[in-house]
Amino acid sequence: MIRRLRLDKYSALYLWAIFMVFFGITKRSTFLSLASFKLVFIEAVFTAVLALAFLVPLSTGTFDLSIGTMMSMSLVVSAYLAKHHVVNPVIGMFIALAACAVAGAISGFFVVKLRVNSFIATLGMSQIITAFIIHTSPQSINSPFTEAFQNIGKRQLLGIPLFMYYLAALALILWYVFEYTPMGRYMFATGGNPEAARLAGVRTDRLVFGSLVTSAVIAGFAGTIYSWRIGNYAQSVGPGYLFAAIAAVFFGASQLKGRPNVWGTLIALYALAWGIKGLQLTFSGAQNWIEPLFTGLSLLAAVSLASRAGIIKIPKRSKPADVATTTAADAPATASGSAAELVP
Amino acid sequence: MAETLRIEQLSKTFPGQRALVDVDLTVEAGQVHALVGQNGSGKSTLIKVLAGYHQPDPGASAWVNGAPLTLGDGLAAAASGIRFVHQDLGLVGSVSTVENLALTNGYRTGPGRRIKWRDEVKAAREAMHSLGLGDVDVKVPVASLPPAQRTAVAIARALVGWENGASLLVLDEPTATMPGSDVVRLFEVIHQLKAKGVSILYVSHHLDEVFELADTVTVLRDARKVASQDVKELDHDALIELIVGRALETTSASAASSAGSPVVRLRGLSGGNVHGIDLEVRPGEVVGVAGITGSGREHLLGLIAGQLPSLAGTVEIEGRNIKNYDPPDALDAGCAFVPAERAIRGVVPDMSVRENLTLCDVGANFEGGRLRRKNEVDETGEWISMLSIRTAGTEAPISSLSGGNQQKVLFGKSLRLMPRVLLLDEPTQGIDVGAKAQIHDLVDRAAGDRVAVLVSSTDTDELVRLCHRIVVLVGGRISTELTGSDITTDRIERNQLQTSRRTT
Repeated sequence: MIRRLRLDKYSALYLWAIFMVFFGITKRSTFLSLASFKLVFIEAVFTAVLALAFLVPLSTGTFDLSIGTMMSMSLVVSAYLAKHHVVNPVIGMFIALAACAVAGAISGFFVVKLRVNSFIATLGMSQIITAFIIHTSPQSINSPFTEAFQNIGKRQLLGIPLFMYYLAALALILWYVFEYTPMGRYMFATGGNPEAARLAGVRTDRLVFGSLVTSAVIAGFAGTIYSWRIGNYAQSVGPGYLFAAIAAVFFGASQLKGRPNVWGTLIALYALAWGIKGLQLTFSGAQNWIEPLFTGLSLLAAVSLASRAGIIKIPKRSKPADVATTTAADAPATASGSAAELVP
Repeated sequence: MAETLRIEQLSKTFPGQRALVDVDLTVEAGQVHALVGQNGSGKSTLIKVLAGYHQPDPGASAWVNGAPLTLGDGLAAAASGIRFVHQDLGLVGSVSTVENLALTNGYRTGPGRRIKWRDEVKAAREAMHSLGLGDVDVKVPVASLPPAQRTAVAIARALVGWENGASLLVLDEPTATMPGSDVVRLFEVIHQLKAKGVSILYVSHHLDEVFELADTVTVLRDARKVASQDVKELDHDALIELIVGRALETTSASAASSAGSPVVRLRGLSGGNVHGIDLEVRPGEVVGVAGITGSGREHLLGLIAGQLPSLAGTVEIEGRNIKNYDPPDALDAGCAFVPAERAIRGVVPDMSVRENLTLCDVGANFEGGRLRRKNEVDETGEWISMLSIRTAGTEAPISSLSGGNQQKVLFGKSLRLMPRVLLLDEPTQGIDVGAKAQIHDLVDRAAGDRVAVLVSSTDTDELVRLCHRIVVLVGGRISTELTGSDITTDRIERNQLQTSRRTT
């Protein structure tokens, strides 16, 4: 019975349902109102976009830890350009996204050409961007953006701000690419076994490089949404969303398919967001510690369930073998090959 | 003279195969005793029984320095003073010689469990010095040392505490992957050991090494000991005769049906252990690549397919030059590759049979702006029945299949591309007899469809079974080419061992 529930693959959906029922009963008036529905979905938008940014390189087995500071950089560049009326804010937005793309390409160069572990390369890149932000920008910039510019994202359609539609569009595009194009398949193959993928004709280096540029631009877009929705710049914005986003991706990787995927990520993210909202309403006044505690517990529980069932496979990126390692690996394999075959 | 090791009546039976039959072995104190034989002759089984990795059949007995030894017990072997240096050395590449020595033998610590680094360094220097390698930098990571020095570190590690009762050093193919200049340096180390009275059991494929180092040689063939005698009583040809014996002469089943201009042209191809190979393969021709490990056999197909970077020379497929180290370009030219070591280079383990089988050309099922999953499933289903792949279905993870069935999926993955050239590197390594026969039939069929096939294999019977022509590699070059009725396991194996004749 328990097995048929597939807790390993659908734990986030069950969690979500339990929250809705439980907090729906205990906090009916506030929790199940239209206002709180909108609030929960809209508040999580930055984390959701960053999670999708993290998802792209992760599918190729690459980690991008610089997405938080990419969001920051995009925001500060567009805020600066808007404040000083250098260019039209829309053009400023594209300049900011281009800056992110360049930074992502630099990370990509280190990962692909210099064979630096992506974890380290993007960590280094995030520190350099942080230094750039601290050096060049003030602590905060208040309302630099024009109302017209902010309305590109803030204006409501059917009572929901436009940027939520952009998030949905982004998710749909990524889902399409991952599941319905050869490129998506090649990305997962690269994440699953880079050497096998390369020998099967996949341009693994290009995919890894491209995925880092893409994640930088998507993370930059999270900064753009911030400029629409909040409209102010502060140095601290960005990195704070990083861990919640990564947690959602790994939680989501345990859902549905057993590998990183778009809908699993969003379901996990919103299941957590609802749980946090319910707890915050229940324990008013102790709100700050609830979010990280709850995220941490849920992540550990979900990934444990999936790992035990052998479902989740978080990709590891290994170095392509060169001649020397081939030689070393080849010889014992030939020597022990016959023995391995004989042993029952 | 005292005996360091004496083994009597050692047999080892695996399901369906006897790996050792009543083998006796005696290693005299202070001697270098060589153990030689073809792949599958039982050498590695013997070493593994001695190391305690395999249990022998009942009835075997052994003594070390006159005291009885329980075979198949790794701790007893270690306690009796038998030390092993396996082919892969088992060193931790990222740390220094000092630490590698200390890892197995314990750190010297002072008060508060503080490691006495100065003492450790001194001990490591002494250990290396006693092997005649006082100039080795014991503080750099061992991965940065040349191969001979790495092997010496492994030997030094095995010999730590030699005075406390170690008695026999087993070196298992220490030179298999070593360039020639390093082999010479390693020999100096072994001569030093011998001068100090260390008894050594030396396993090797290289007969010139036997003549260079050994006092006595034991030859295994088809699981039995065929000779154990003084090396001085033997010459090169006599030793080869002993190793190869009267091998079963299986001849190639099909005659060469190849005609037309070559599809594959290699000119002066070099890289890895390959040093300048010229070779042409015609449509419908199956060409075998034979050679011992280290001869270049293990790298040639990888160089063609772009798995490994080449240093010189060209690969031409149907008149078109293939870019170096670029698998997509080789595939574009119609050259499909089934790499050796399926688990590392062949399969994507967390993907399904369908996703693995279609991986080389996912785009074939991309229609009207999206991947047609149903078409993929249908196509995969066809391949599953055509190749009689045993799987729970198209969506089963490939890691749930047996080795033989995984290999069939990889064959399907290549054949699906309708290649002009098929490169098969150890195509039946580690798979069962039934799947092997099916894969051999697939190769025949591909050749019948006028695909040019190159097979590299350590399994000589397999080459005889499949090939119209065989090139034997020695020292990175083609030493012999066999065709027609000349293709016998006997000739292949003799020619593989011709190292010393050419180099000395």
